[in-house]
Amino acid sequence: MKTIVPFREGLFESGAEQGVLLGSRCRQCGQVVFPGRPSCLNCLGEEIEPVRLGRRGRLYTYTIVHMPSEHFPQPYAIGWVELPEGVRVFSQLKGWQEQPLKTGLEMDLSFETLWEAEDKEVIGYVFRPVKGAKA
Amino acid sequence: MREVAIIGAGSTVFGKLPDKLPYQLGAEAARAAIKDAGIKARELQFVYSANLYGGMVIGQAVMAEAGVTDVELTNVENACAGGATALRKAWWDIASGLYDMGIAVGVESMSNSLIADKLIPPARGDITGELGMNMVARFALAQRRYMDTRGVSLEQIARVSVKNHHHGSMNPYSQYRKELTIEQIVNSRPICEPITLLQCCPATDGAAAVVLAAADKAKRYTRYPITIAASVLRSGDYNFRWADMTFSDMTHKCAVAAYTMAGLGPEDVNLCELHDAFAVNELMHYVELDFCKKGEEVRLLEDGVTEIGGRLPVNASGGLLSKGHPISASGVAQVVELVWQLRGQAGERQVTNAKTALAHVIGGEVTGLESGAVAVHILKR
Repeated sequence: MKTIVPFREGLFESGAEQGVLLGSRCRQCGQVVFPGRPSCLNCLGEEIEPVRLGRRGRLYTYTIVHMPSEHFPQPYAIGWVELPEGVRVFSQLKGWQEQPLKTGLEMDLSFETLWEAEDKEVIGYVFRPVKGAKA
Repeated sequence: MREVAIIGAGSTVFGKLPDKLPYQLGAEAARAAIKDAGIKARELQFVYSANLYGGMVIGQAVMAEAGVTDVELTNVENACAGGATALRKAWWDIASGLYDMGIAVGVESMSNSLIADKLIPPARGDITGELGMNMVARFALAQRRYMDTRGVSLEQIARVSVKNHHHGSMNPYSQYRKELTIEQIVNSRPICEPITLLQCCPATDGAAAVVLAAADKAKRYTRYPITIAASVLRSGDYNFRWADMTFSDMTHKCAVAAYTMAGLGPEDVNLCELHDAFAVNELMHYVELDFCKKGEEVRLLEDGVTEIGGRLPVNASGGLLSKGHPISASGVAQVVELVWQLRGQAGERQVTNAKTALAHVIGGEVTGLESGAVAVHILKR
């Protein structure tokens, strides 16, 4: 059995039935960022609250990569997904062979195995097109 | 602040030059610039040397080979904007009155670097890099959004590459001297869709150098001093302040600051070398440099305005796409080309009657920022 480890600590909660991405919001200027920060990069405010970001967003842009990478066999898809809080999240995109990607497409958050190392399985966030969604 | 002039310019031929070590490339360019200035090497009071992949104190090795030792010498790194950074710092050392004469050199040997034939690796711990981002993908993502939201076709973008390879075919310093067609570019191998191989700049070895002097002393050495009317360098801002990935805020802000410093407007620019690492960049930069309004950039290209013979030739050297892109050398090489053009020494690719020229580079990737660095220089004859 391989140990399941998150891609990064503190970026998301995936234990519950439906995982979420964890961002932060500045109580002073309202700026929401992902990954969350202990203080605000926008106004340097110190009062920060954690935010569980919305799971559904729109594909801001995407690309199919035909180049080698450390963890992903080619071709693979990556893109920026714009979440309801106005935050853009860079992510691996899955399910694009079944449902072609399009700028503006509705995308759903999912937690999956990103890659496997010798003794561990690294899990993280990916986005998939919402079934039947149109851009 | 004193006026500063470029009195000497030199460059190696660009290309795959695995037999030349970084210091040899740099010294070749530095010697050419010193000879062009008509000075003796020991008259140089200071050096700025830009390099990314060559290892420690490359500038000392370069200048020792060119006969310059025992001076103030600073090595700088700002990714693709490294050469422009060296120039900017050299400009300031003279403008401020600290020195009267110095040299800025940029050098890169990709063939002799630790990443030869490999990809530029993401920084350790870089989240987007680990999740599959790379330099081509970054611009492919911008290009996808640009095409989908602005209705620009791949054929229209490929035309940038056609133009710049046409210019490069006339430049003996260019890595590629071959004309390309829209069909060849569109049908070449996909790298990061919609970017295909021939929309990308190549990996390049090369070096370039310029000698700078206080303007009141420059006339002693040359009848054709080229004045630096503006020199601006900026780091990138946070991504969350970046409204539109198809419009580089940092390039626009840098250009506006440069026009203000020069007391000129974009309408005064007759010649430009800009950062065309990928074909699509050039169209976006027309807008960001205020050469036209948003939506008019394709027409600027299609009407031939930015070709040699047009009102505002862009990348007459062939640009990064055809002349090549030796990372830290490019910012200096652009300025070498503009100096030659303004003096009327550009041979077959000579642009007629240019008086004011602009150079623009952008470089480096950091998670969370639009980009690493941007520089704009404006030159006048």
